[in-house]
Amino acid sequence: MRKFWCLFFMFWPIAAIVYSAMSPAYGWWFPGDSVTELGQRIDNLFYLILIIITVVFIGTQMALGYALWKAAHNEDEKAHFSHGSHNLEVIWSVAPAVILLFLALYQMDVWRDFRVKAYFPEGTIETPIAEVTARQFEWRIRYPAPGKKLQPKPQPDDLYAVNELRAPIGRAVMIQLRSEDVQHAFFLPHLRIKQDAIPGQIIPIWFKAEKKGIYELLCAELCGWGHYKMRAQLTVEREVEFQDYLKKLQTDQNYDGFPTSDSVAKKEE
Amino acid sequence: MSVRWQSLIAVMLAGLLAGCGGDASKARFAENSALAKQLLPKARKAVQKTLDEHFGAPLDSVAWLKLPVNYGKAEGTVKSVDGLKLSVEFNKEASDVDGLTSPELARAGLLFTSGVSAGKQVLLAKFDPKTNVFEALQTLDSPPAKDDTFVAAGHFLRHGRKLYARHCQHCHGVSGDGDGTTAKYLNPRPRDYRLGVFKFTSTGSFPAPIKATRDDLKRVIALGIPGTYMPSFVPMLKENELTAIIEYVRWLAMRGEIEKGLITELKGEYSRDRSKDEGIDKSLETYLGEAYPNFVNEIAGEVGEKWSGAEEEGTAITPKKPRTQDTAESRHRGKELFLGNKAKCVNCHGPAGRGNGPMTEDFQKNPTTNEVYAERGLFDVWDQPIKPRDLTRGIYRGGRRPIDIYRRIYVGIKGTPMPGNSQALSEDEIWDLVNYALSVPYDSQAPKLPKPHSVAEYSTEHGHAN
Ligand code: HEC
Ligand code: HEC
Ligand SMILES: [Cu+2]
Repeated sequence: MRKFWCLFFMFWPIAAIVYSAMSPAYGWWFPGDSVTELGQRIDNLFYLILIIITVVFIGTQMALGYALWKAAHNEDEKAHFSHGSHNLEVIWSVAPAVILLFLALYQMDVWRDFRVKAYFPEGTIETPIAEVTARQFEWRIRYPAPGKKLQPKPQPDDLYAVNELRAPIGRAVMIQLRSEDVQHAFFLPHLRIKQDAIPGQIIPIWFKAEKKGIYELLCAELCGWGHYKMRAQLTVEREVEFQDYLKKLQTDQNYDGFPTSDSVAKKEE
Repeated sequence: MSVRWQSLIAVMLAGLLAGCGGDASKARFAENSALAKQLLPKARKAVQKTLDEHFGAPLDSVAWLKLPVNYGKAEGTVKSVDGLKLSVEFNKEASDVDGLTSPELARAGLLFTSGVSAGKQVLLAKFDPKTNVFEALQTLDSPPAKDDTFVAAGHFLRHGRKLYARHCQHCHGVSGDGDGTTAKYLNPRPRDYRLGVFKFTSTGSFPAPIKATRDDLKRVIALGIPGTYMPSFVPMLKENELTAIIEYVRWLAMRGEIEKGLITELKGEYSRDRSKDEGIDKSLETYLGEAYPNFVNEIAGEVGEKWSGAEEEGTAITPKKPRTQDTAESRHRGKELFLGNKAKCVNCHGPAGRGNGPMTEDFQKNPTTNEVYAERGLFDVWDQPIKPRDLTRGIYRGGRRPIDIYRRIYVGIKGTPMPGNSQALSEDEIWDLVNYALSVPYDSQAPKLPKPHSVAEYSTEHGHAN
């Protein structure tokens, strides 16, 4: 039985090594590679932290296993009673503090690029592509009319969609996030973006998706019984497709029972 | 130690099973008791029995082929007949249809489309999906023969019910009565389907309100109803799921209407207050034995026709002219109409479109019973208080496309006091009103209040003393 516990505690560091080593290749941590460059940097931070905690975990488990093993075979020596060691206390307070401080400083530039408005890519702040309003229990999206700028207040020619956000590929874009009722969180796992939506605040989020596709957009804040319903999607597509989509929204929204009237009007222009 | 773990797990499993099992299999559709309680107890039972027979229970639904519901038909051919056993083969597309394994499919039965049984529905006791052998419920007078074709109904209903239970039931209720567990916290209340009335349709209301089309329902479920708790269900629900759920909603609506029709019919002779009448039991028995079955079929036919009628071509209200250019002049004309006596929008929506017109302050009459409501303000056909829309908010529950607003003004909003104007207003006038209504949220100068004497005019128009 004594040996069992030694082996038990030694087993976990080995399992941790195997698991940590395998996970990147199998995509166990993330839903695929990040679709944004910033997301890849976030992943790198994640892996750095993973390495640090794996090393620490293995170290502590080995120490524990070793101590147990040694004691298990030592019938003669009596346990030594200690009131603590000042030096040890200092070491295990300072070492984690140093690691945490290092992480806090090391991630600063990623944080800055993600959150600090002054560092948003050029052109994003002036021309947000959409306003996304979280609401129990759906995402309501407002785009400016093609060629117009998004205004904080709704405009007569704004375009509306629900649960389907679209964005062009390869261009840094910004959206304005709001909430109509309670706190929600705008979560794009494939883009590594998670941002709370807070009633009364307009929160800018930017991203530059590099890969075409349809990605899940979820609510990541338990916001009520219908929380699970807040499953929408982000479609990343070519710039022309995106513009066509907006035009299609515009045509749909101006539909008056005469499918051709819009195209007629366009020819007249 | 391991023994203890095992017993712990066993206890947990038992708990789970008890939690899920329960009486779910005995679940029933709630009765429309507000109406049914007016009947003699025996008549009430007869209605229940009819409904059970033709619709079944939530977990054991019956596809009544008389109704224009797309049950997700699977076609097939009889391979051999052996007494009660029918060995069949489904068409290629049908063989992988989800739900064919369901006992509900068996209960729904087979409708024969050729041979001696053509046009007959054969009820079944069992279906073995592995061997594709059905077992008929009772001996058949004219048993189908080899190579007879049939349609089997049901998997849409089953699929629809599952989805409905997961996504809609807690608001709209098991029987579609709009009284699910969360309903009481919501305003407006979730739709009670049982009247078969839907608000945001493309169809007209002349000479009688036309039902919602499948596309209308789909639009509502896909886009949600902004400004209410009815959420959007796309992209969460996929196309085939929407199809199934729409059929289920239509089915529930038809069930509710048929229930109401049966009760109304029986109420004429067999209302509760006649329980002391001599010979009433006998008379009811005779009626149930003779005329009633026909009436059941008749009312189902009537209700079904209304629903299939909505799907016919040309039911959608489409303007004959495209939208009038959205100019200041058009809006101005619209505003005059809005405030004027011809369209009377102001009576409900108020001079600034805030939904606080004089009619909201008055006692109104219930148009079906002609009784005055106990409270001030407007009521809908579900007897719920209702407010005219505040047009300054720019939220359009039935959609914000010009065609949507056009339809709302032309047809009115079914089930609500908002009246249609197909007779009163010309095409151009409606478009002017559309342009005005859509401009209200952006009207920076607050619309001027009408002069005092005109307010008086609006109210006298409706015959109120004040
Ligand atoms: C959170 C509650 C809620 C849920 C969940 C919900 N609904 Fe509704 N639904 C409503 C409310 C409230 C209305 C009424 C809005 C109104 O009167 O304007 C409504 C109205 C409707 C209508 C009537 C539209 C019309 O034109 O009159 C249909 C059809 C409908 N819901 C279908 C569904 C279906 C199908 C589901 C499930 C997929 C569903 N609803 C889930 C709350 C809900
Ligand atoms: C008898 C009262 C009444 C009158 C008269 C009336 N309305 Fe309404 N209106 C209502 C009510 C009630 C609603 C809200 C119905 C609902 O629950 O969706 C409404 C809703 C609306 C809506 C919102 C539709 C949507 O999709 O959200 C518009 C637009 C509208 N009315 C325009 C008009 C116009 C224009 C007129 C004049 C031609 C008019 N109404 C006359 C009662 C009225
Ligand atoms: Cu949420």
